Amino acid sequence: MRFELDAAARQHLEALRDFGRDVIRPLGIERDRIGSPTPPDHPFFKEVLRRGLTRAPAAGDTGSALGPAVLRVLVSQELAYWDRGVSSSLPGPGLGGGPVMSMGTPEQKERLLARFRDMTEPRWAAFAMTEPGAGSDVARIQSRAVKAGDHWVLNGAKLYSANADRADWIVVFATVDPALGRAGHRAFVVERGMPGVSEPKPEKKMGIKAYASASFTMNDLRVPAENLLGGEAHYQQRARGAGFKGAMQTFNATRPAIAANAVGMARACMDEALCFARESDQLGTRNLDRLERMRRKTRAAWLMCLKAAWLADRGEPNMVEASMSKATAAEVAMEAASLGMELLGAVGAQGEHLIEKLYRDVKAMDIVEGTGQIQRIVMARQLVDYPRD
Amino acid sequence: MIDFAVDDDVQILLDAVTRFARQHLAPGARDAESNRGPAETVVRLYEEMGLSALEAPGEGLGMTARCLVNEILGRADPGAALALDRLGSAGYAFWAVDDRETVEGILADPARRAWLVTPEDGVVNVSEREASGTVHFAPAGVTDLVVLCPTGIAHIREGIDAEPVRGAGLRAAAPVRMTLDRAPVARFHRAPVGPVLARARLYLASLLLGVMDAAASYAREYAMERVAFGRPIAHHQALTFLLVDMNTAVTGARLLVLEAAWRLDARTAGEEACATAFAETVEQAAFIGPNAVQVLGGLGFMQDFPVEKHMREARALGLLHGGLDRAREDAMQHPATALMAGDPF
Repeated sequence: MRFELDAAARQHLEALRDFGRDVIRPLGIERDRIGSPTPPDHPFFKEVLRRGLTRAPAAGDTGSALGPAVLRVLVSQELAYWDRGVSSSLPGPGLGGGPVMSMGTPEQKERLLARFRDMTEPRWAAFAMTEPGAGSDVARIQSRAVKAGDHWVLNGAKLYSANADRADWIVVFATVDPALGRAGHRAFVVERGMPGVSEPKPEKKMGIKAYASASFTMNDLRVPAENLLGGEAHYQQRARGAGFKGAMQTFNATRPAIAANAVGMARACMDEALCFARESDQLGTRNLDRLERMRRKTRAAWLMCLKAAWLADRGEPNMVEASMSKATAAEVAMEAASLGMELLGAVGAQGEHLIEKLYRDVKAMDIVEGTGQIQRIVMARQLVDYPRD
Repeated sequence: MIDFAVDDDVQILLDAVTRFARQHLAPGARDAESNRGPAETVVRLYEEMGLSALEAPGEGLGMTARCLVNEILGRADPGAALALDRLGSAGYAFWAVDDRETVEGILADPARRAWLVTPEDGVVNVSEREASGTVHFAPAGVTDLVVLCPTGIAHIREGIDAEPVRGAGLRAAAPVRMTLDRAPVARFHRAPVGPVLARARLYLASLLLGVMDAAASYAREYAMERVAFGRPIAHHQALTFLLVDMNTAVTGARLLVLEAAWRLDARTAGEEACATAFAETVEQAAFIGPNAVQVLGGLGFMQDFPVEKHMREARALGLLHGGLDRAREDAMQHPATALMAGDPF
């Protein structure tokens, strides 16, 4: 067993830390006050590319010997420490990259992902699963896909798709027959400008405002057959519910990173709370006691993130660990933010302190990519054979 | 490098300890409790395995291996584990002052038994020459008492009176209350006690982890078999979530213990991590013990099932070496001085 970073990883994180302090946090605070996402033509994004910063660096990008999943949770944690909203706005394929990698044909991978190697112009992709009537229970999505010759025709509505407002393409999940449940799911790549898809509209959110959570509708949207992820063969050859499984594999890979975001935010809350307590001469036994507890819980959550990522890098099942890290870290972060507000007292009510922003931001972490309750159900299926239906 | 895998040589040891625990320790746990000690065959087998001092500095396998072994033993019978390891966490004090002779003497003589206490384990006044007071809990037969005091480490070999007590749990260790009346201090070492206490905490925490895991696992398996209202009680969501949270609690505590143990083995700063790991383990044990009984309902309350023993023993173990409060006091020294930016943990 070992729990230490190599020099390359440390160096990469230190660079992120400097950039986070000088650029990411101030931008996050600015966007929170303005109340809208960072525009895609903001110079910040070109600067990010110039520095070679991404949310999911490959080992070759950093020179570290750490696995990509471990590296990703380290980066996710550090970025979210400075601002989770800005972190989520970084250019790249985002959540859309996972299904393309796990389900896409070689041609699709090259066609859709190659453009992200160009580090001169910021580009985004997105992932759209959630619908007005299907949040946690993604198996119940109602967006319909009907085959029509060499096209598919999509109809339906999607909500809360990160960066969809600026995405070159969006992985959209739809069903060929709602009665089939998961077996009816198909994943399509909807490209910007295709007739029949509305302009994604950023929602007004309580927090994490620096990135867009956008909603859009599909009205007789015609998607070429070559944009069915994996092609027809994927769904015929693979076991029942290949589309649904593709989405779930994406979540198993990303949940530790989302959990790491929450750990970073918990750390930020504690640091701000500690600074405030010091400055206001409130660092007595009671508050030290509270801070100790939060620090301990955060540390445990962080180790869960690392364990889940380490398993992913080894190609071992990590469903329980991924959900455990996500459920635990999100709760810990919320508790840390709430503690920070408690220490602020009436200052927190002014709505101008960073902890107040974190308090709003952090709630999302227990909701996105599966609520804490859903994570428990995922774990229960493995631990106590909890029934699926 | 981040690596959660167990080294091959340690895994071989763990496999052997698992066999010993399953075949000999666990089946005799109730008898060991009522007889106030493990069976002679169990004692002989344990001695043959050479598990005492396995973490000795230099040639040993380190604290990570000790914690992994203790979890297995604690899962089977923590009281017997305390009884069987005649050196126990007192070894950390002897090694800290390079007193290998005493360690070898204890390991070579089956009549000797060491025990380590902190000031919170009783009311003991220690000078460099003598000690007086009471130690509330110890296994029977202690011949070498180590007292960690603010100024150093006292080794006491004479003047130890012991009176059997019933024991809230851990009865296989034949608990006693020890009294010292101007007991002579054989050796007093002016040495920092922090590193010794850190290791002693991990020793207890890892036994406690075993108890927690045993309780949570038993409750989970029971809940999958027991049917109420037409389905296993594990599938009633109120209990489903409780069982999942119990599993999460064990995992979180285990990760903290192992990471703290690695810090000690790697000689990176570890005292705060050990206090943190101990505190989390004790806190989560207090969550798991009673809830494991709760899952079994009335059956859980009966001595026909192991969870009532788990609940008692988890609580008793967590009270030693100052328990939760003292560990949190030590752990909270860190947030008073350090921001988490740039130094996650």
